[in-house]
Amino acid sequence: MEPVQNLRSVTLGGNIDRSRLKRNGYTISLLNEAVRTGWMSTQEVYAVQTGLMTKLQELILRYTQGKSTSVTTDTAENLMMSIMYAVDACMLQYEHPETAVAVLKSQPVDTIYEQGVGIVQKHFEEAKTLYQEIKKHKLEVPVDAYNMTIDESLPVFMNKYGVIFDAHNTMASIDYPLAIDDMQLQGVFYMKRYLERLWMETQFCRLFDRQELLELLADYGKVCRFDYRIELFNIFRLVLNNAIFSVLSGGAAERITISPVQFGRLVHLFEDTERIDSLIQTGIERVIAELNIREAEMTEYIRDCRPDLVQRLRTAAEHNVLHTVIIMRKKEKPKSIAVSFHAADRMDDRLLRKWIAQIAERQEIGDKIKLIRSNFHSLHDYLDLLESDTLYGEEYAALFDTFGDMELAILAKIVFYEDLRDDFPDFPSIVEAREGAEREWQQHFIHFLRQLDRSRLKSIGEYVDDIDYEQITFV
Amino acid sequence: MFLPRIFKSLELSVRERETHELLELNEKTKEYGLVLTPDEIKEILTVRDQVLHSYGRVELGIEVSKALIEQFCTSPYLDKDHYASTLMELHEIFYDLKNETEDDIADAELIDLLKKSFDEECAGSLELLKSRMEEFARQFRLEAVKTLEEGDEGA
Repeated sequence: MEPVQNLRSVTLGGNIDRSRLKRNGYTISLLNEAVRTGWMSTQEVYAVQTGLMTKLQELILRYTQGKSTSVTTDTAENLMMSIMYAVDACMLQYEHPETAVAVLKSQPVDTIYEQGVGIVQKHFEEAKTLYQEIKKHKLEVPVDAYNMTIDESLPVFMNKYGVIFDAHNTMASIDYPLAIDDMQLQGVFYMKRYLERLWMETQFCRLFDRQELLELLADYGKVCRFDYRIELFNIFRLVLNNAIFSVLSGGAAERITISPVQFGRLVHLFEDTERIDSLIQTGIERVIAELNIREAEMTEYIRDCRPDLVQRLRTAAEHNVLHTVIIMRKKEKPKSIAVSFHAADRMDDRLLRKWIAQIAERQEIGDKIKLIRSNFHSLHDYLDLLESDTLYGEEYAALFDTFGDMELAILAKIVFYEDLRDDFPDFPSIVEAREGAEREWQQHFIHFLRQLDRSRLKSIGEYVDDIDYEQITFV
Repeated sequence: MFLPRIFKSLELSVRERETHELLELNEKTKEYGLVLTPDEIKEILTVRDQVLHSYGRVELGIEVSKALIEQFCTSPYLDKDHYASTLMELHEIFYDLKNETEDDIADAELIDLLKKSFDEECAGSLELLKSRMEEFARQFRLEAVKTLEEGDEGA
C-alpha cells in the first residue's frame, strides 16, 4: 500500500468543509463533500460505490455461508452498515479529511475495508481488556444498574459483538448511566468509550472510603425518597459533587461526608448564585490537586462535569432546596424500627405452596387469617401470598386489619413507591389521590387505607417517613 | 439509508452485463429448443427486480436467474412459447419460497426442489407448483417450531 504521507501531496489545498462531515456516516458525507468541492469526480465516487457494492455482494455470500445469493432488505442494509462502519473506521484515522479523500481515490475499497476491520478488531480487543479490569476492580455497592451492567449487559456485548456482520451494532442494552455519555457513537467505538469512562469513574470512586460511599448512597436515597438500589443514577457524580462540597466547606477532598455544619457553610457560600461557577471551578481544581489526579483524560472528564453541577446548584439555590444537591449525612435511625416482618423467617417454596393451598381450602375468613398470621412472618412470604391471588374480596381487608401501623407502612412503601418519591405533601393526601393499582391486592390495600381515620393514616405516614428502603429486606 | 440510491445508480451499467451473461446461456439451452431474446431477458430481469422489491429482498448478482434457466431448460414441460413467461413466474415462486422458509434453505436446494416438483407431481403446472410450495413452506415452518420447542425442553 502506498504510504499515506505521499498521498497527501496529491491533495494539499484543503477546502473541504469539516462542518459538513458527520461522525456517523463519515465516508458518505466525505464523498458528498469531495464531489461538491471538486476533490473527487463523479466517476471516482462511482468507483468507490461499485467497490462497496462488490464488498456487499461478497459479504452476503459470507453471511449465508455460500448458500444464498439473496438476503432480506433488512439483512442487506445491516451488512452494508457494518461495511460502512469499517470503512468509516479507516477514514476517521486520518486527521485531515483531504488525506482520507486521497486514500479513497487511490486505494481499492477492499484494502480500505480490510484496514477498517483491523481497526475495529483492535478496538474490540482493547474493550475486552478494559472490561476485565473493570470487572476485577468494580465497586462493591448494592446498586443494581451498576452491578447488572457490569455482570450481565457488558458480557452480552463481549460475547455477541461481530466485527464483520455487526460492527455498527451496540448489541447490549446498557442501563447504568455515565456522568457524561457520548450517544453519537455506535458499535465498539461507543462501547469502548463507555468502558473507558466507566473505568475512570470507578477508579475515582475507589479513592474514597467504602463505608462513606455506602452512607452517601443511603443518604441520597433518603433525600430522593427512593430505593437507591434499584434506581438509575450515576454514582461518580454523587461522589465527585460531595468531594467538591467537602473542599469548599473546610473538609478534605477524600471525604465525601458533609456534616450539617458544612452544609450550613455551603448554603451561605452559594447564596450569591453568580459566584457558584467560580466556586465550583475552584473546588474541582482542589479536588484534582488534593487527590493527586494526573491522568489528563480523568481531569478533563471531571472538569466537564462542572456546567451541569453549576446549573443544578443555581436552580436548587434559587428554590431553596440545596439539600437535594448537597447530600448531607443523616442521623442513624434506631435499628429496631423495621422488625415487624422477620426476614430470617422466610419459608422455602415448597412449604409456601403448601400453606397457600391450605389457605385456599379454608372457607371461613377467620380461619384463613389465623392460618396466615400464625405461619407467615417474612415480608417476602406475605408478598408471595398477596401476589398469588389466593385471597378474595373482603379477606384482604380482614388480613390488613390484623397488621400494625409499622407493617402497613412497609406495604405502603411498596404500593406507593412512585408517589413517595421526591417531595410529597402528606401520606393521607397520597392515599386519597392515588388512582388505581396494578395488582388486585394493591387495590384492596388502597381501599383499606381509605377506610381508616385520618389520625391513624397520619401515624402510618410517620412510619412511612421513617422507614428507609434499605431497612425493608425481601430475602 | 443510501443503499437504494446506490443500487439505482449502479443498475444501468450492471444491467447490460447481466443481459449479456443470460444471452450466453442460450448456447446451452438452444439444444432443448429454448432461446431468450434480449428483450425477453430485459423483461425477465425487470420482473425479477420487481419481485425482489415486493418480497423485500436484495440480490446483487443474477446467480438465481442463471440457475433457474440452467435447471429448467431440461424440463419436458417447457416450450419456446412459454419459456420466458414461465421463467418470470419461477422467479416469483422462488423468492416467495425463500422468504417463507425464512432463508433456512440454500438456493441450490430450493431450485432442485422446484424443478423436481414441476417435472413430477405438478406435471408442468405453475399453479400447482405454487400451491405445493405454499404447503411445503407451511410444513417447513411447523417442523422448525417443533424443533425449537424440543430444543427448549431439552435445555
